[in-house]
Amino acid sequence: MKKFANLLKKEIKELVNKQLVFTLLFMLVLYNFIGQVSKKEIQKIVGVQTISALDEDGSASSQSLLKGLSSARFKILDQSGKTKEQALEAAKANDSKLLLVIPKGFGDSLTAFKPSQIETYSFMRTFSLIGARGQIVVDGVISALNNVLSNNFLKERLPDFDPQSLKNPIKSKDFVVVRDHVAQGSATQVAGLMSQQSMLIPIVLMMIVIYSSQMVISAIAMEKQNKTLETLLTVPIKRTSIITAKMLAAGLVGLISAGVYMFAFKGFVGGMTGDIAKAGAQAGGGALMRQLGLTFNTTGYIVLGVAMFLAILVALALAMILGVLAEDFRSAQTMIMPLIFLVMIPYFISLFADMNSLSLPAKILILAIPFSHPFLVSQNLYLGNWGMIAFGLGYMFVVFVVLTIIAARIFSTDKILTMKLRLGKKKPAVA
Amino acid sequence: MPNVLTVRGLKKSFGSQVAVAGIDFEVRAGEVFALIGPNGAGKTTTLRIIATLLTATAGEIKFLDQDLCKDPDFVRERISYLPEEAGAYKDMKGMDYLHFMANFYARTPEEEKTFVDRAVEITKLGEPLGDRLKTKVGTYSKGMTRKVLLARALMTKPVLAILDEPTSGLDVLNALEIREIVRKYVKEGTSVLLSSHNMLEIEFLSDRVAIIDKGRILDSGTPAELKEKHRAANLEEVFRSSVR
Repeated sequence: MKKFANLLKKEIKELVNKQLVFTLLFMLVLYNFIGQVSKKEIQKIVGVQTISALDEDGSASSQSLLKGLSSARFKILDQSGKTKEQALEAAKANDSKLLLVIPKGFGDSLTAFKPSQIETYSFMRTFSLIGARGQIVVDGVISALNNVLSNNFLKERLPDFDPQSLKNPIKSKDFVVVRDHVAQGSATQVAGLMSQQSMLIPIVLMMIVIYSSQMVISAIAMEKQNKTLETLLTVPIKRTSIITAKMLAAGLVGLISAGVYMFAFKGFVGGMTGDIAKAGAQAGGGALMRQLGLTFNTTGYIVLGVAMFLAILVALALAMILGVLAEDFRSAQTMIMPLIFLVMIPYFISLFADMNSLSLPAKILILAIPFSHPFLVSQNLYLGNWGMIAFGLGYMFVVFVVLTIIAARIFSTDKILTMKLRLGKKKPAVA
Repeated sequence: MPNVLTVRGLKKSFGSQVAVAGIDFEVRAGEVFALIGPNGAGKTTTLRIIATLLTATAGEIKFLDQDLCKDPDFVRERISYLPEEAGAYKDMKGMDYLHFMANFYARTPEEEKTFVDRAVEITKLGEPLGDRLKTKVGTYSKGMTRKVLLARALMTKPVLAILDEPTSGLDVLNALEIREIVRKYVKEGTSVLLSSHNMLEIEFLSDRVAIIDKGRILDSGTPAELKEKHRAANLEEVFRSSVR
């Protein structure tokens, strides 16, 4: 135990170096900064928009239109009495997103049920995706205008009817059924909430697997590159202890790194979607998911945790084998690629397709990849498919045991020194 | 003198390539036994097998009368191996590296301290490393690193020290220091099995020598015996005469 602790301490010290600490701190600061900037920009979009208005018509209809806009989150800066050019200059100077020009005859056209035209001038002061809000404002203004005007028309002509009922005579009351749970809501809303709720699972898993595996592969490759492996293999410590110490250290450091990464990422995503998520929660999304049984209970979280833990163990065992194939630190960077692919395939399929509705060969392929199962476990937990969950956990455990036996065998035999993946010229093993 | 190591009919192949083609030799207690031969002769493969890094294809190896293949842990506790191109962990300080390695062999903290103190004494021989042991190994010259590694190999006073080209790539002064350190520890009871290209070094260090080529031992004996047998002035001429 003393020897194992000695080795584990060394492995952890090697992994937690200044570069890692700096990278994690940098990531925290950077993501937080981007999140805050994005948050401010999004607040600007969803907040009150300032627009300038030049009312050349001066009719009751045009005044009513501007009043309607004011009540639809627009701050109107009145440019009456100016020419169009003067109004443009003034709007440019007062930071308006848009200049709205209501031409003469607007009110008359409306009264005569003729198409009425207004002019909008969007000021593009930046070309960033979030910053270029001109078009969004224009769409918002026109949509609000059409809504106000059509409501006014209908109220005027059919004062006894509610304009909304006239515009949307058919109303749908939607229900969603999941197993034996029924709740009022739309399938789109549930799918959106599900994706929001389980978005973090694949990202967390991917991050931990990639971080930890990279660390194991690099740890072995560095031993080879620095010519310390041969010495380490001749000291009185069991080879299985060497494997376990490297896997445990990489697992721990990988877990912490992924935790820091996720914390930083949460800050970033929270900044981007905080207001939208709040709106979703206010709209009763949480209650809907609870009614449908689509939230995890304690057992669910434990099962999911076990699935993710097994996936990490499989990744670490596979990384040990790949690490042996690497000759040096540089080739270790390439060795991580097969592992990344194995994680990315189920990750993307879980994002864009339903794993359960794939064709049989595709399904077999996906089920054969051990990293698919944590994604499937979360879906199967929602649907109560305990048989599939047990199969997934069992399969990952078997793969882990097999890979560990292979890794232990490699470390206990000549292969640890002779097994190399050479893409170039072969070198003789004899000296 | 009893044998520390007895090798009989040792063979090692990598696929179809024969590295060691059946060799016999023994290392006696308190002696330096050297394997000399050209590149690819099978020296390093032989040392790696005895250091429990590789497994033999055939043959018998007895270490202190125990079968080396059956109980590698018994062997690892009593030997130390210094590979030709060995390195130390670059991010560790010299002192931390010695403590890290001593911890594997020491049964108590006191014993660990004794090992490290001994290693520090070794590094003081010749050009002393002094305070450099408190700095990272990555900042050391090749000679300094080799000295720390030799100190690591000898600090436990192993029954058998296996040294592969111990002075490879070092300048004259560093090489001399290393040889003196090895001789000092042999006097204190450690047996040494070494390989080298450097015939002068072999002559200075070794009690007995085996000339190896293409995986076979061509001749063996004390340097004096070999020189007399081959009517040679030095080991280089013995070597040339043997491989012809």
